Amino acid sequence: MTSMRDIKQRIANVSSTEQIIKAMDMIASTKLHKARAQLKGVRPIYRKLKCIVEELGSREGAETHVFYQERQVRNSLYIILTSDRGFSGGYNVNIIAKALEHMDQGKNEKILVVGSKGCEYFKKREKNIIRKITDVADAQMYYGTESIAKWVATLYLSGEVEEVFIAYTHFENVLSYVPYVEKLLPVPIVAIDMADNSDRKYEPDIHTFIDNMIPLYLHMNLFRAFSESHTSEQAARMVSMDAAGKNAEEMIEELTRMYNRKRQTAITQELSEIVGSANILHKGGIDES
Amino acid sequence: MANHQTNSVNENDNKINLTITTPRGVKFVEKADMLIMRCIDGDLGILPGHEPVSAVLGDGILRIFNNGVEKKLAVFGGIVEIEDKTVNLLSTIAQRPEEIDLERAERDRQEAEAAILEESEEHQTRRLQVLLHRSLVRIEVSTHLEEAEYTKDTDEGEND
Repeated sequence: MTSMRDIKQRIANVSSTEQIIKAMDMIASTKLHKARAQLKGVRPIYRKLKCIVEELGSREGAETHVFYQERQVRNSLYIILTSDRGFSGGYNVNIIAKALEHMDQGKNEKILVVGSKGCEYFKKREKNIIRKITDVADAQMYYGTESIAKWVATLYLSGEVEEVFIAYTHFENVLSYVPYVEKLLPVPIVAIDMADNSDRKYEPDIHTFIDNMIPLYLHMNLFRAFSESHTSEQAARMVSMDAAGKNAEEMIEELTRMYNRKRQTAITQELSEIVGSANILHKGGIDES
Repeated sequence: MANHQTNSVNENDNKINLTITTPRGVKFVEKADMLIMRCIDGDLGILPGHEPVSAVLGDGILRIFNNGVEKKLAVFGGIVEIEDKTVNLLSTIAQRPEEIDLERAERDRQEAEAAILEESEEHQTRRLQVLLHRSLVRIEVSTHLEEAEYTKDTDEGEND
């Protein structure tokens, strides 16, 4: 049986935890706000670039370009975006599961893992991690993705990998985020109806255009994927902290009730003891006189 | 009255719809009579009704002419998609004159100029030249507002 002191101790514990939870919730919601603004900014340029890149693929002369050409695949690079910190519900588990599922289709994988959570996981699984990136500051995301894009392009051009996939979490709204695995390189060629503008010209020529276009596209694609994942992470953390905060509140209520009941019982017991002993004393007094 | 209306409709019809998109969102939506932009191999001028072209942009000034008013923007890299009357410009950096920190651009320019003289490695000098060129573009765009004495300097830089 727990004593009153134990219960009091527990209430103190839970309420200090609750305060931490609330602080984390607040941080996550501020970060979420910022992340959403950033995501909102990058989505339009990404969509347009994606359209152009996909359309380019169906042009004459593009399919022979190295960024579009399907080569025989020996190694596949996976860029997996996870978080650096926990307390974000199923966020990391979901994206890792999705990536593993994709990798198990007989791929010879090389992994670029972002975030310490994913890093720990894949190390334990003894996967082939060729580069890891942790602790990316929010403000460094833009230039960070630029250098990653360059690194990926060099790796691809040097023939160390023949295809590149990215695993990220798409942010839909605060309560829903979906893990995706997408192919970055070679750019998948989508058959598009060419009737409307088949006479488009490219300055200075199509190959130079692709050479300049793809690095920009890669950068924007990575930056967008990072923003999506970052936003999803903050949203996931906010939601789980909300739930934890509610649980803590409930627990405190329950414990306080328990404590009060105990207190009342103790008082009642004490009172009845006093009354009882007073009665005995009283009786003894009568006997003496 | 009716005539006047059709006229104004026509006027609007015969303009370029320019949209500039950067990683911070759709930044600039405007109508223009003519555009001049810097591509990697020279300047490209666009009038309404241009044939469909996609081009790679270099570091330079985007000049927008509308109703006889000229606006300048510093645009660094990116691509442009032109089709008839719509121009979609996608770039990582597109700055208005008022967004440019002139002091910083000046400082960049001086630093780059000084460093180029000392640096011997080709790879480094190319990087510095890009930096210098960008600072010169910024300076020209931002001084366009007040037409200061820098213009002469920067014109030389532009022709390089």
